[in-house]
Amino acid sequence: MAIVKMKKATIIALQAEKESLLKSLQAFGGLHMIDIGDVQAEELKDVPKDNANEEAARLEALLSQVKYSLDFLSKYDKSKKPLFPAKTVLTESQYQDYLENLEKAEILYKECRAIDEKFAEIKNMETKLNNLLSQLNIWTGLDIPFEQIGDTLYTSSLIGHIPSRASQEFSEALLNSEKEYYLEPVGEDKESTFYFLVYHRSAEETVQQLLKQFGWTKVNFGELQGTASENILDIQNKLKELEARRAELIQQAEAMLTNKPYLEALFDILNVEKDRKDVVSNFVRTKKSFVILAWVPEPLTKALEDAMKKVTDFYILTLEDPSEEEEIPVLLDNPAIVKPVEMITEQYSLPNPRSLDPNRVMAPFFIMFFGMMVSDAAYGIILSALTAYALYKFKPTGGAKQLFQLLCLGGLATLFWGALFGGWVGGLIPIKPIWFNPTDEPLKMLLFCLAVGVVHLYVGMGLQAYKSIKAGNIKDAIYDQGFWYLFLTGLMLLAVAPSVGKYMAIIGAIGLVLTQGRDNKNIIKRLLSGILSLYNVTSFLGDVLSYSRLLALGLATGVIGTVINEMSLMLSGNIIGIIFMIIFMVVGHTFNIAINVLGAYVHSSRLQYVEFFGKFFEGDGKPYAPFSIKTKYIEQKN
Amino acid sequence: MDLLEMMSSNTGLYLAFLGSAIAAGLAGVGSAIGVGIVGQAASGVVTEDPSKFGRTLLLQALPGTQGIYGLLIAFLIWSKIGVFGNIVEITMQQGLMFLAAGIPVGIVGLISAIYQGKAAAAGCNIIAKRPEELAKGMVYAAMVETYAVLSLLASFLMLNGITV
Repeated sequence: MAIVKMKKATIIALQAEKESLLKSLQAFGGLHMIDIGDVQAEELKDVPKDNANEEAARLEALLSQVKYSLDFLSKYDKSKKPLFPAKTVLTESQYQDYLENLEKAEILYKECRAIDEKFAEIKNMETKLNNLLSQLNIWTGLDIPFEQIGDTLYTSSLIGHIPSRASQEFSEALLNSEKEYYLEPVGEDKESTFYFLVYHRSAEETVQQLLKQFGWTKVNFGELQGTASENILDIQNKLKELEARRAELIQQAEAMLTNKPYLEALFDILNVEKDRKDVVSNFVRTKKSFVILAWVPEPLTKALEDAMKKVTDFYILTLEDPSEEEEIPVLLDNPAIVKPVEMITEQYSLPNPRSLDPNRVMAPFFIMFFGMMVSDAAYGIILSALTAYALYKFKPTGGAKQLFQLLCLGGLATLFWGALFGGWVGGLIPIKPIWFNPTDEPLKMLLFCLAVGVVHLYVGMGLQAYKSIKAGNIKDAIYDQGFWYLFLTGLMLLAVAPSVGKYMAIIGAIGLVLTQGRDNKNIIKRLLSGILSLYNVTSFLGDVLSYSRLLALGLATGVIGTVINEMSLMLSGNIIGIIFMIIFMVVGHTFNIAINVLGAYVHSSRLQYVEFFGKFFEGDGKPYAPFSIKTKYIEQKN
Repeated sequence: MDLLEMMSSNTGLYLAFLGSAIAAGLAGVGSAIGVGIVGQAASGVVTEDPSKFGRTLLLQALPGTQGIYGLLIAFLIWSKIGVFGNIVEITMQQGLMFLAAGIPVGIVGLISAIYQGKAAAAGCNIIAKRPEELAKGMVYAAMVETYAVLSLLASFLMLNGITV
């Protein structure tokens, strides 16, 4: 349906013109390369593979430098970035200029590197100083300079700590030893008590033994001079200095930010160049020529020839249809209004290239379900207006664009269904429903939802039948879908027109019993599996009931909206109350929109994935990823 | 009128309140647990890669709906018995009906929210390893929600059948 037909292109051209040809093909941007090594084409078996050369390795190295510089500078870029920045436009000559002047990139890389290393150095020193600081802090009570702690002619002095629980015992033991000593507790932390200890040389043995016994840990500040407090002051000054140096480095980095646009452009350019060097690893080559194997979308074949002719006349291009077992990349082609929904299918899986693209059929259902679940006209207006504004203002690309477009369409559907069911800000604005109010007539709404579900499921089955017919298996379509249609419709008609319904159901059932086991050779087995297949009616019933979520989620929106309104209105009375009432309403309804949009998105997707896709969908398509110019920051102008 | 007499004349009302308490209370508890479970898993993912916050938040919101469904039924019960305006006199039989109507969404909400939370927490692993497959994780969690939706529907239809 909307899967683009692919042609397999084989291109043989001259090595001498390889570079310019590849350039032209990259600009053409429509070839999905096939790695010839993977396909092992019989006639190319003995042709050696081409590989990327040193040039590619050099570009790679340069690219990683540019990326490093760019990441480094981005850390210091405080300018406000637009959500979806516009791309810089480069002319061909500017592009070449970049490639010819690569020294600047290397210089920038070295500068960034140097700054980064200095940062690391500062950080290192800070950690060391802070460690020392926390060790010194406990000794502020000691006003003896560290260099004076040690041995004199008759005394020894030392500092250290022992576990606090032993401190009492320790000082008593010292006292009881009746030696000459001086012990000063200096401080205490969670586990240890810190001491300054002086003793007479004659007491050396006793004291050392006691110290050992009570688990004394000696503290040594090594080269430090002066008292603890003096040292702390000194360290604090040093830390301040480091801080100042860091600020200076940050300034240096910020000054380099002017080079960011240059680096960004270069990053893109190098990527494009590197892609072109790398792509040759898919080819095979001889001394004078090389071979490309690639997929090209059928509508682009003319453009491919033009792209080749622009460069040279010496080439052979053959186009052939894919054979049965080849893996074809999938490119979808749908009208703009269906495009946003492609995202939903892609998140499930790309369709099998030989199957069909469900998007055009799925789109109206997805949007409709979304609308029925949010089902508040005012919410729909808000959602559409916001997303339309975002699309207009920020011009997002890729996935964000699709999502906004999807929500915008969903908002319109919400407006439609909200108006039909009379939901306006949870009933705050009293507008009569155009059709009926589901809260008052929930059964009617339930039946409507289930009917919508039946239609959805029938369409899904219809697509399977369509597939069978297209493949020439009309019988399969009649047996597997036709009889089910008859049977199920008959069963449902029993409620309204019993006479007609009965016969339809019976004919359908007989047809199913006779045909559903047709793969079995044995006649008994065949009938048995035919009868068993009727049991599938329960799974159909389950599928249909699943659509009751349309009612439930729709009701949830309406009732929560009402709750928010009623609770807000309770606040009204005086001015302050009214202010709070308005705040509460705005916050509440914003929350309601958010939670319901999320719910509607998830559940509308689920109805497609589980109920709808289950009927016919074949996935596992591989995306079409052409060899092209891929850029993030720049755009090339010819 | 002595206390006993007053109690018995209003039993219906008490039962209706009990029904709404079961609906909002149990479903709310379930959602709180479910959202909590996902939050723990999500924090793990975000520690590794803070840019995944938005995506994990989507998953965390999923088990939150049961609490809303419960509140929805509770609110409908309240509006039927006139909590916001004039309290309506209801019989004990009617009260029991309100009680019964609150039970499906309460109990199914409680349990389904917890299991949905676990499914969504597992979905966080998908985000950690293959962020592009977020949709599949959401669908697994949404499968659990089906039963909460059905119980909401059951409660709602029961409630709708009670005439006061």
